[in-house]
Amino acid sequence: MSDGNPQFTILKAARLVDGNGGPVAEQAAILLEGDTIRQIGTKETVQAPEGASATEIDYGDATILPGLVDCHVHLIGIGDGRAGDDLVTLPDEVLTVQAAQNVRKHLYSGVTTVRDCGAKNRTTFLLREAVEMDIVASPRLILAGRPIAIIGGHLSYFGTTATGPTECRAAVRQLIKEGADFIKVTATGGSTRTSHPSRPSFNIDEFSAITDEAHKFGKHVCAHCTSSGGMENALEAGIDTMIHGVHRDFNGNDSYRPDISERIAEQGVFVNPTLGQGLARIRQLEDNPDLVLETEDIDVMRSGSEVRMDHVARMRDAGVVMVAGSDSAWANYPMGDFQTEIEAHVMAGMSNMEAIVSATRDSAVSCRVDDIVGTLEVGKQADVLVVDGDPTRDIADLRNVHDVFLAGSKIDRHNLV
Amino acid sequence: MILPLQRQNSGKSGNLAAIQRLNKTPELNPPYNPSMAHKSPTYNLLTADRLIDAKGGPPIQNGAVLTRDSEILAVGSAYEIRAPEGASVTNHHYPGATILPGMVDCHTHNNGFGDGRNGQDLAALPDEILTLQSASNARRSLFSGVTTIRENGPKNMTMFRLRDAINEGLTIGPRMILCGRPVSIIGGHMGYFGGEVTGIDECRAFTRQLIKEGADYIKITATGGSTPSSFPLRPAFNLDELKAVTDEAHKFGKLTATHSTSTKGVINSLDANVDMIIHCVYKEPDDTDNFRVDVAERIGEQGAYVNPTLHVGRSKIWSLTQKNRAFGITEQESIELDTAKRELETRLDQNRRMIEMGVKVITGSDSSWGDYQLGNTVYETELLVHAGYSHMQGVLSVTKWASEALGVNDIVGTLEPGKQADILVVDGDPSKNVNDLWNVTDVFFKGENLDRGSEESLSAVRQTPEEINLGSHHSHGGHK
Repeated sequence: MSDGNPQFTILKAARLVDGNGGPVAEQAAILLEGDTIRQIGTKETVQAPEGASATEIDYGDATILPGLVDCHVHLIGIGDGRAGDDLVTLPDEVLTVQAAQNVRKHLYSGVTTVRDCGAKNRTTFLLREAVEMDIVASPRLILAGRPIAIIGGHLSYFGTTATGPTECRAAVRQLIKEGADFIKVTATGGSTRTSHPSRPSFNIDEFSAITDEAHKFGKHVCAHCTSSGGMENALEAGIDTMIHGVHRDFNGNDSYRPDISERIAEQGVFVNPTLGQGLARIRQLEDNPDLVLETEDIDVMRSGSEVRMDHVARMRDAGVVMVAGSDSAWANYPMGDFQTEIEAHVMAGMSNMEAIVSATRDSAVSCRVDDIVGTLEVGKQADVLVVDGDPTRDIADLRNVHDVFLAGSKIDRHNLV
Repeated sequence: MILPLQRQNSGKSGNLAAIQRLNKTPELNPPYNPSMAHKSPTYNLLTADRLIDAKGGPPIQNGAVLTRDSEILAVGSAYEIRAPEGASVTNHHYPGATILPGMVDCHTHNNGFGDGRNGQDLAALPDEILTLQSASNARRSLFSGVTTIRENGPKNMTMFRLRDAINEGLTIGPRMILCGRPVSIIGGHMGYFGGEVTGIDECRAFTRQLIKEGADYIKITATGGSTPSSFPLRPAFNLDELKAVTDEAHKFGKLTATHSTSTKGVINSLDANVDMIIHCVYKEPDDTDNFRVDVAERIGEQGAYVNPTLHVGRSKIWSLTQKNRAFGITEQESIELDTAKRELETRLDQNRRMIEMGVKVITGSDSSWGDYQLGNTVYETELLVHAGYSHMQGVLSVTKWASEALGVNDIVGTLEPGKQADILVVDGDPSKNVNDLWNVTDVFFKGENLDRGSEESLSAVRQTPEEINLGSHHSHGGHK
């Protein structure tokens, strides 16, 4: 807590959404003590302990929610459409400056926890050091460091490639030594020019070496999968979060595979479908048709997005838990706009409340931080978002950010220093 | 001693005129503003109770400045300045305020924290972290009204990288005049930043290397300093080495500046034809203070600029005083406090004499070094007023004169048509009280009215002053 602040803070609002998906609490209040949530109830029942003074803020027609958890970001990204292959040509110091700007934007927009799914060299680890030194304001950081890729594979330009089980184990150990909180694997190719997005990258023995080694140290594993072959390998290897989760055959044709969905559900693997990426670009082009590139066709993008949303709906019907992760600032999706990803979940068939849960509790569970954040519960960290209006009625109200609290401290969202 | 560049100039301008002829001023931090390419020009008309154009005359009452995109179009009386017919102009009226050029701080250390940590500990941090700190410091400067800085010594490529990031449009910062790394002897002051050289050839090679990397000027540590392995009272480079650096720099139209904390270092710097002498401490090798009129005269004759860095000493006095009040200080710190007070008085006196002799003394904060944090440049200017400048001269020392010292007076430093629209608006009248430079209302940078963020975050940047007795014979000055 910053100096001189009273130890207790009471936040009141017309509504409180705790992130567990139950009914909205009306005329609610929450008591924060330092960095911890102490009490949740109604405006009448919540009060500081006898004799203690508390700062009280009544937000009126607003909603109190858990700080958002974005389970998929790329902090070094710029979101101006440049390819990853070009992004990595920037020096590490420059990318770190960009990461610092990105974490600030995300924090100010209501996101209090992010999981970074791949950065160049040691940039995100050094960002974390700078955050700990108080140079940079940031949400809580869950970091992979570099993704593990095959030679020429997706994101291999970030600095870690491995071949064979032994190198795969070594790569995991090296990343954990440097401070990785989880392991990111690219199970298929992707936008990386030398990679093959419809084909699996690691063989099963390599993949299993990675997941076994990570799990041995209590680290979870996220796998980039843009084809069904990659998903099957990832499931075989026992990963924890499936990123993209694209049902596509070896030739790149959309082909929904109910058997894979069933297996995802059975294994309790989370899927982060990254629908916001496509939606963000479609909205940009709708707002500004001059920006359409020669390689882009907005109708093709719309129908592609519809196919993905349909697959997501079917996966959910099969019992798969979807988690919100923006994948910004990759491609054309700048950070500070996690709300687009959440809105895409609503467009894919979730209720507003379900979409909020996918961006708070479930996202936190997938990141293995649900013991401290993701829901508003007594004893958890006081990461709190207050928005004007009622996002359970209109999801766009998530954009009306009024205040953000991180570990009980109110963030000055206009600090540009 | 043959000083070719100086010999060509009969006047007092020393190297500078020659350098400026050679040196086509680079466009420092070209603006990243792709949207501008498609737009019709943006006009801003600023009016206030007074305007200081910093050309040396009195303030213009009811002054106005008109800008078009990043340039100043007209400066004068609010009754006369009009935007062109049909132009879409944004009016900014500032009652009770003064319009003046954005400040120019000719001595910053953007890597630094100003939390009392020493340079060698600073240099132990990874480059990425130092670059992040530099980025934050750059914003601190800019939001405080400093629109041009000369950075005086970071580690490795960190400031070039920050410039890359600014040019990519990833963050913002003032115009930055960079040295890359300081040139140092082995074990010399700031050698830990990555620039230790020995002998004429290495000195030349390293100067070329820095220029290749993008250095706008060359910073040299002519004496030791706070670096433990260095000798602040002794010269560092031999004269032939020092001259190799300055000759090579001047050949490519780059100015030079030396850190000199003892008299012999100052003399060597003059012999090597250095353009700016930093600190400019008159001390004998046995640590006795001895103001050398002859040396000061030579500085004046050669037209070298002096950047005395007075406040970095005062900031130590302030922090020790504050620490003493809060927790008490050790006996060692108590001795340091007394020494710092004595040194400040001596240095104020030496600079008063240089100012009386007409030496060009200019503002360069030396922050963030020691206990002095970036975003607080005005404290240095205030001390120059304490050392004898009028309040208006104080303003000139952080605008026009500083821009001349850096060789960028063709684009910034005064409010004149054709110059860059780097404009500061402050409440009050800094020509009467230089401390009014703190009262920043707006900062226009390259013609854009900056969003400086919350008041709370801006006031957190300002360091808390302490009342200290600077001796009874200093009757006037900028203290409030």
